[in-house]
Amino acid sequence: MMTAAPYRTALSGRVDWARENLFNTWRNSALSILSILIGLAIAYLLVRFVMFQANWDLVAINRKLFFIGSYPAEETFRIWISVFTAAALIALTYGTWVGRLRPFVAIIAVVAVIGLTLGLGAEHSIVEYEFTDQIESIDGEVSVITGIERELVADRGWAPAWLYSLSLGLAVPFGSSWILLAALFATMASVAWAGKQFLTRWKSNPVLIQAFGAAWVLLIPFIFLMQSGVSSGHWESSFLDILVFTVGGFFSFFIGIGLALGRTSPFRAIRYSSVGYIEVVRAAPLLVWLLFATFLDDELGPVGQVFSSIDLAYRVMIVFALFGGAYIAEVVRGGLQSIPRGQYEAADAMGLSAVQKYVYIILPQAIKAVIPALIGRFIALWKDTALLAAISLVNTLEKAKKILGGQTDIADGAFFEIYLVVALIYWLVSYVLSRLGGAAEARLGVGRR
Amino acid sequence: MKVKDGKEIVRLEKVVKRFGDFTALQGVDVSITEGEVVVIIGPSGSGKSTLLRTINQLERHDSGRIVVDDVELTDDARSLAMIRAETGMVFQQFNLFPHLTVLRNVSLAPQKVRHMAKDEAEVLALELLDRVGIPEQAEKFPGQLSGGQQQRVAIARALAMNPKVMMFDEPTSALDPEMINEVLKVMGELAADGMTMICVTHEMGFARNVADRVIFMDEGEIVEVATPGEFFDNPKESRTKVFLDQILTH
Repeated sequence: MMTAAPYRTALSGRVDWARENLFNTWRNSALSILSILIGLAIAYLLVRFVMFQANWDLVAINRKLFFIGSYPAEETFRIWISVFTAAALIALTYGTWVGRLRPFVAIIAVVAVIGLTLGLGAEHSIVEYEFTDQIESIDGEVSVITGIERELVADRGWAPAWLYSLSLGLAVPFGSSWILLAALFATMASVAWAGKQFLTRWKSNPVLIQAFGAAWVLLIPFIFLMQSGVSSGHWESSFLDILVFTVGGFFSFFIGIGLALGRTSPFRAIRYSSVGYIEVVRAAPLLVWLLFATFLDDELGPVGQVFSSIDLAYRVMIVFALFGGAYIAEVVRGGLQSIPRGQYEAADAMGLSAVQKYVYIILPQAIKAVIPALIGRFIALWKDTALLAAISLVNTLEKAKKILGGQTDIADGAFFEIYLVVALIYWLVSYVLSRLGGAAEARLGVGRR
Repeated sequence: MKVKDGKEIVRLEKVVKRFGDFTALQGVDVSITEGEVVVIIGPSGSGKSTLLRTINQLERHDSGRIVVDDVELTDDARSLAMIRAETGMVFQQFNLFPHLTVLRNVSLAPQKVRHMAKDEAEVLALELLDRVGIPEQAEKFPGQLSGGQQQRVAIARALAMNPKVMMFDEPTSALDPEMINEVLKVMGELAADGMTMICVTHEMGFARNVADRVIFMDEGEIVEVATPGEFFDNPKESRTKVFLDQILTH
């Protein structure tokens, strides 16, 4: 007769795990209890602040400003179409080639909860009423003054104050932007699912690969095309940050690969100019290069004239691409150095051309080896968009400052709340980048040789 | 000396290769006929591997002539590309591409260099994997295979280009002893099929049983060329005798 193995329920399994790992010695138990207490204290302070102490009104009424700034309201469809296209393409690519939907949906859920919480279009109004007041001065003289008082009235719908604060207005009647945002996340989840269901079996089909390649190459031109009716002077806040980062980051990747290969080129002229470029660009902070880009006029002759005739937002993208490229070149170079000589020799001996050797053999391995460092560079580049505030472009940070400075009558010193939201927006994109990096690592099997 | 009659497939004349002050090849002459199996042996540092590697120019030689299948190696990049396409090479460390499946390792070069259609290249690759005895490993990655299996994939990869001559650079030296025979067996089958082969190896049994000619090298020059029977049983040169004494009597 077989004896049944003791059946461990999920809960008792966890209790056993905790007993074995957290409370196995008295010292460990003390540390565990201390950690739990500190965690609870932090959670208590956070919940107390978010739900009862913070004044989210200023955030709530300025949500649109945080996302798209003073972008013309009747033109926002341009942004929505771009965002939907990019999101659908990302989701479809992910679903087809990575295919692990559960972590993907988890990421969307995190972004959706925060995005919808910060969602646009609260019901609010500012009521102005005249007032008269009597003021008694020190020497006893009484004077009557009149003025206009402004007060923010937010319609909280049926929601109690704390729920309203917590959700920043989810409970109020849904605005059209909120519905679009919800539709966006639903689209991403369903398109990723569709990609996994219907395209996975074709994923090595060259026609499909070429179609996806073409779609990705055309994405950035498409986004610019969508902006053709709006002056780049209207690009503000998170939209500006994301646009500068995406375009700058995209091109910096290819510039970086080119420079890394240039550094290892057998031709001295190419090698020295690559090294020189990298050393010069890295020698100055990004802020200095951004200032150069802002104030460069005809100092460099025709080059400077052409450059300075471009809109500032585009010039900034060029600086981001060139600056980011210098750093990415060093990361990719590290990857190239990790490839054993035998790989080059095997490719040569098979008769592959130099281009084929790098495209099929060397670069895929080199880039795979440095994905964690690359993601780090891209996250750093994303956060560098904060510097745009210093060159008269209105990024998220600058917009926050303007809100705090321009709405003092209703701001009521909500500095912490405003900057918390700014930090949340930076964190959100960094989080998505880091998860995308994780997915790429899992797909390419980093660490497996 | 000539053992087989037929077309000359590899010709080296007065080939010199230096690494700094060290001269690895001091004016080597070799002629190899189609269908011949030549084993090159010699002490380490004698220039055996360098000789192989100058033929497909993994090492550029300093002077001398190299002709493969009537194509003379010149400064013209096309001659180098043609020679590399016509010579298959198997390395001591396998040098498989770890990021590609076994199938892709084998089918890549026919597709990209010979411009074969993908389906066609994969059919060819599966045939070759079958020939080296591991058709069931096609979808695995090289890291999931044993050393002997990896080396057999490397042989299939080199064969996929349908080369005129196969070069083996100590193909069994990095293998665990129990895996050496599976690789030597594949090499023996290749030789029986009439493939032209140049092998640098320390496997004296293989040299004796499979080779048509044995070339003994020392200090960058060819000391003795003989049939295996002559070479092992009746060596002419004193340096050959000393070497054979060292490796055969331990």
